[in-house]
Amino acid sequence: MEYILEMKDISKTFPGVKALDHVQLQIRPGEVHALMGENGAGKSTLMKILMGIYTKDEGGEILFNGQPYKISNPKEAMDHGVAMIHQELNPILDMTVYENIFVGRELRKHGLVDNKAEIEEAQRLIEECGLHVSPKERLRNLTVAQCQLIEIIKAISINAKVIIMDEPTAAITEREVELLFGHIRRLKEKGVAIIYISHRMDEIFTICDRVSVYRDGQYIGSGDTKDLDEAQLIKMMVGREITDVFPKLDAQIGEKIFEAKDIVRADNKVKGVSFCVRKGEILGIGGLVGAGRSELVEGIFGMHELSGGEIFVKGKKVNVHSPHDIIKEGVALITEDRKVTGLNLSGSVNDNIAMVAIQKLVTNGLYNKNKARSASMEYIKKLNIKTPSGDQIVGNLSGGNQQKVVIAKWLLNDPDIIILDEPTRGIDVGAKRDIYLLLGSLVQQGKAVIMISSEIPELMGVCDRIMVMCEGKLSGEVTRDEFSQERIMTLASAIEV
Amino acid sequence: MKKTKSAKALISEYFIFVIFIALVIVLTCLKPSFIQPSNLVNILKQASINGILAFGMMFVIIAGGFDMSVGSTVAFAGILAAMLGQGQYPLIVPLVIAMLAGLAVGVVNGVGVAVGDLPPFIMTLGTMTAVRGLALLTSNGKPITGISQEYRAVAANSIAGIPMLAIFLVIVILICSFVLAKTVYGRRVYACGGNLQAARVSGINTTLIRISTFAIAGLLAGLSGFLMTSRVTIGQPTAAESYEMDAITACVVGGVSMSGGVGKPWGVVIGCLLITVIANGLDIMGVSSHWQKIVKGAIIVLAVLIDVKGKSKKN
Amino acid sequence: MSKKRLLAMLMAGAMTLGVATGCGNTATNDAQNSDAGTDSTDGAYKIALIQQHQTNAFQIAVSEAAEAKAEEMGVDLTILSADQDAATQISQIEQCVSEGFNAILFEPVDPDGLCDAAKSAADAGVVVINIISACTDWENYGISAVSYGDNVKAGETEMQHVADLLDGKGNIAILTGPSGDSGGLQRMEGYENILKNYPDMVQVVAPADCQWDTASAQATVESWLSAYDLDAIICENDGMAVGAGNAAGANSGIVIAGVDGTPDGFEAIKDGRITGTVSQNGGAMAANAIEAAVTLLDGGTLEENVIITDNTWIDASNVADYE
Repeated sequence: MEYILEMKDISKTFPGVKALDHVQLQIRPGEVHALMGENGAGKSTLMKILMGIYTKDEGGEILFNGQPYKISNPKEAMDHGVAMIHQELNPILDMTVYENIFVGRELRKHGLVDNKAEIEEAQRLIEECGLHVSPKERLRNLTVAQCQLIEIIKAISINAKVIIMDEPTAAITEREVELLFGHIRRLKEKGVAIIYISHRMDEIFTICDRVSVYRDGQYIGSGDTKDLDEAQLIKMMVGREITDVFPKLDAQIGEKIFEAKDIVRADNKVKGVSFCVRKGEILGIGGLVGAGRSELVEGIFGMHELSGGEIFVKGKKVNVHSPHDIIKEGVALITEDRKVTGLNLSGSVNDNIAMVAIQKLVTNGLYNKNKARSASMEYIKKLNIKTPSGDQIVGNLSGGNQQKVVIAKWLLNDPDIIILDEPTRGIDVGAKRDIYLLLGSLVQQGKAVIMISSEIPELMGVCDRIMVMCEGKLSGEVTRDEFSQERIMTLASAIEV
Repeated sequence: MKKTKSAKALISEYFIFVIFIALVIVLTCLKPSFIQPSNLVNILKQASINGILAFGMMFVIIAGGFDMSVGSTVAFAGILAAMLGQGQYPLIVPLVIAMLAGLAVGVVNGVGVAVGDLPPFIMTLGTMTAVRGLALLTSNGKPITGISQEYRAVAANSIAGIPMLAIFLVIVILICSFVLAKTVYGRRVYACGGNLQAARVSGINTTLIRISTFAIAGLLAGLSGFLMTSRVTIGQPTAAESYEMDAITACVVGGVSMSGGVGKPWGVVIGCLLITVIANGLDIMGVSSHWQKIVKGAIIVLAVLIDVKGKSKKN
Repeated sequence: MSKKRLLAMLMAGAMTLGVATGCGNTATNDAQNSDAGTDSTDGAYKIALIQQHQTNAFQIAVSEAAEAKAEEMGVDLTILSADQDAATQISQIEQCVSEGFNAILFEPVDPDGLCDAAKSAADAGVVVINIISACTDWENYGISAVSYGDNVKAGETEMQHVADLLDGKGNIAILTGPSGDSGGLQRMEGYENILKNYPDMVQVVAPADCQWDTASAQATVESWLSAYDLDAIICENDGMAVGAGNAAGANSGIVIAGVDGTPDGFEAIKDGRITGTVSQNGGAMAANAIEAAVTLLDGGTLEENVIITDNTWIDASNVADYE
């Protein structure tokens, strides 16, 4: 038997949308198989059908181990040996590590939960993974990366034959990625097949054996990764050639527009960081997850109490007690988690875009809907936001388009300094490129951009200068002519170089 | 990191307990008769029915729900128990019927919420109103008198000085704590409230779990109705008005998170004792009822505020 | 997805059905009531009785007596309940006026809030009579008569009997209805009128608001008894008196008195948990009001437009006569 899993001729129709149109997927035992495609291509829908979260339309069939595979819920999928690590699924934060690992398939003794056995088994799995947490720790007290690894441990521990990993590396550091890849290779040796969904090209070529590409609900093709290159893959995904992954527009770098001196946060997550940015410059902030990058910009933005430091905008000292104080000086922060701090997901595109600069959309003291609509239309066009209309609910848009809405909402306020925290996380190639171009055009207008990113190639491709943080401090700064992946990694990993 | 937090964390985690002890000490100083055995027995009796309701409520809230209908269910079950408890049947009949009636209301709530996707507040607000109507309809609006002596004895009697009502409460506490802490089911209740989606994709039948928590709340409300009728010796259609609020208060004060997934049985016991002790203490000090309301409200908000502040500092 | 929708709809359907059944029952009642008057359909007066609520024995006695009286007098009676809500009662009055009722009898949910509604009804030519309690300044709002038991007098009767039983001295405590309830305030006024004469009867605790509720009265009195030596507990209704009696136990030696004369009160009197109650006889108030309405509609005049139903003290000696 060549394939452990075969999905043939699968379709899925949602009201008004054909999400999958007669697509297929074949997985061999012991291979890492990448699913690629832009957001909305149908990868997630296909995987949800495999997990029993969605039911496929009539017709088509799924064979598992050569047998018909008929399931109606995730439990049955897991009983067959198919597990999934969900991308946007938060773990149960108020439960402990071991409780999370065994949720839904608790170990029992005399019909009761066997806590002792669960803790022991969890301890074993955690150690095997090289993670250093107590099985009794609550997930609330863990970092995002640690939570992600717990999810992976959970999937590994059910002895699955097929494990689906949806963006497993979106929130973890390079070092943890290496650990994860180690696990994936070990699983491969045991004959476990991995279905790997990621937007990171380098990962696909590092870890995956084969790849299947989808676009707009259609199956485009499959192939061995060793026979493909990045450009070919991108062409399959977007349906056209993208020659330049990181477009860089020329801009005139001018005088200093923003300066932060000796920023210390009251909770000690940032320990005395100074930096400045100039007009027309894109400053990157690199570092590992937990290095204090988001904490730094959130502190500057007045979201957390600072215990020391001074902030100067356009040469003027600003006392920041709340975001309002710095927004009015022309600073914008596009936060890391757009769903939590960026968007009103149940509001329309228009409403969201109007959120920050609402004062500009007022006529005679009243909110002017027409003004808001035309302003919103302008940005929908300018930023190439793919939405049926401005009245569409933001929650229904794809990740990339949601991110553009967040950016639009700040641009409408006409800021001079724009800070973006992981602006391209979880969005597809096309949308990423749109955002890079947008940043370029902003600095061409004489604005300054500060961008936090965990993807070093992205920082190197887009920024004029990169400052690297480690453990709450600035560990170094690299200018464009000195950019190298190794140098940035070294700076990110230790303070002493 | 772990070691340094322990002392502070311990206090913040058991803060409600500290408040409770402080309150007992203050009340004892102000009015020594507060701590007399006869009054302690009173407190146990007065805490029992709310305690049983609060434990049912705890299941619902931990699983991420909310139940407004338990007060009405107590009244309805109490009416049925009073009608059947006139001595014509063995006492087990009114007990079982009352509990089944409560269970039925709970299942309706659960199905509405878990299958019908209605917000728990709306669903149980509906049953709260409808079941109150059912209680009035069944009793024709009048109190049901004439319950048998042995039925009265259920709430009036004591065993070794401990009132029977309190014994019922202790049994409920023991069973519920055991279920939540030790069984697979209990673990899954926490999982549903902690993250419903995660629980679902982990293969848990979340629909069934959610229905069952409402069923437990209903079942215990039925038991409370049976005990309530025994305690007041009549079945009243208007009884137990706003008891759901007291039950919710006991849970929240006891550290059960309204967003689900968090809550310890001992906390609910303390929460329930705390509000009983406030009422009892103010009663024996002869504080006017108008002031009692203000004091009760203030203590609840303060207790939870300090609790929340303590926890948020920890993170 | 669609399965869920269907279920949601079924649930809603089931609930509507439940409500409909409830309504169905009221409808049957109404039908019965109109049956009572069918033999003289065209000549019969249409009279509406709007009760404050229908959720206790006292109010049920009011409806039952009114139905009996209506049948006896051959009038077409419709009974409505305002469910303790002044706004509901106002719209019910307006509705009755537009449906052409000849007379409206009602117990105001709020003594002030219902005045204007009564006035408009009276201006439209409808005979308006208050029962059980009266609107403030009722005569100026076109209300033709009031038929009530005087709550102040009921309070006086209750406290007087307690004073006699205690020989004018002792520690007493009072349980009240919801603070601000006009009936409760009037009863309290009656208590105070009597207590003036007995300086040796001392209130050792502040009156407790037990919301007319048995369980809440029971808890309060249990607490009190562990801290105070009480000789009498005076309650503004029977439900709370029963609670106090449960807390004290049968034949406790504590005088416990209530007001209303409801079945649960009688039961407690018989087994010695409470000492006595003042019967308010709501049924007689309703019956008298119907009689007065018919007199006025016939073109007659009333001898007295304040019709007082006497209250009676009921204790173990005469409780059997009232059940």
